[in-house]
Amino acid sequence: MSEIDKDKPPMSPEEQKVYQARQKHRAVIMAALLIFMVVLFYLITIVKIGSGS
Amino acid sequence: MTTASHTITGLASAKDLFALTKPRVMSLVIFTALCGMLAAPGSIHPVIGFTAILAISLGAGASAALNQWYESDIDAVMKRTSGRPLPAGRMDRETALHFGIGLSVFSVLLMGVAVNWFSAAFLAFSIFFYAVVYTIWLKRSTPQNIVIGGAAGAFPPAIGWAAVTGDVGPMSLLLFAIIFFWTPPHFWALALFMNSDYSKAGVPMMPVVAGRQSTRHQIFGYSLVLAAVAVAPFVLGLAGAVYGAAAILLSGIFCALSWLVARSKTTEPKDMAAEKRLFKFSIFYLFALFAALVADRVILA
Repeated sequence: MSEIDKDKPPMSPEEQKVYQARQKHRAVIMAALLIFMVVLFYLITIVKIGSGS
Repeated sequence: MTTASHTITGLASAKDLFALTKPRVMSLVIFTALCGMLAAPGSIHPVIGFTAILAISLGAGASAALNQWYESDIDAVMKRTSGRPLPAGRMDRETALHFGIGLSVFSVLLMGVAVNWFSAAFLAFSIFFYAVVYTIWLKRSTPQNIVIGGAAGAFPPAIGWAAVTGDVGPMSLLLFAIIFFWTPPHFWALALFMNSDYSKAGVPMMPVVAGRQSTRHQIFGYSLVLAAVAVAPFVLGLAGAVYGAAAILLSGIFCALSWLVARSKTTEPKDMAAEKRLFKFSIFYLFALFAALVADRVILA
């Protein structure tokens, strides 16, 4: 979904700028979510081990 | 609104992906699920409780994304929804579908692995009910769409309850019933002053099919049933006096406002003060009633 379609006309410099800004923003959010999930699963594991389930 | 080329809409912004989850509806889902969890007998570790609420929220967001994927044609012709990411052209449908399915699978797996598989199955069923039974099947085919589809919005407190107990009890069924019978008066009040939007989109909402007066009478009828169901936990001894007093007071106001709607003969949406008042109060009603239930549990404990 994020690939540039070769059949479509090339993006203008402005569109290229918007596209790259979105890519960067999404990458930052994805990294934050991944770190959050790592911490959450770590805590879940600790709780599960602690409760013996 | 961003004017973007086809290629750019293929890469939706994070803000639009978030908007796809209907954050305002999600806040009510989070609140009712949390109340169901707090009202349930027994205890849950805060980390597991947080994860359960997170999974329920993600499931609700997934349902909303799938709903908007399927309804983008309807949303485009309704003023209230035309600014959403899909009808506004800021995102393509494929992205919404992938996002919705991905979030659904993730939310159910998270619930199953971290909490219990009963509530995970319950969550999966609620997503299926909203996305398939309500959105794809009922909404465009019957004026009872809101009545039966209301069940989808009624699942969160029961799922929150199931996260703690691993099953369904009489109180969780009553919490389900409260939202189930609350939904028709809440949505039909909105549909009355948004009638032109729904008829333009060809959605067979009750005011479009049965007319305004019939809808107004049904709103009042459902309000009476809602009041009976809301007071039931107190009458049956499942909740204490704090909840009982709040339920009687709030339901009394709800019925009074519904009565004003039933007596209204207004045809112009801009003059529908009674309907707008009921719609606004209905949101407060649900928050206040569930908050009273939690307060009741805290006091009893």
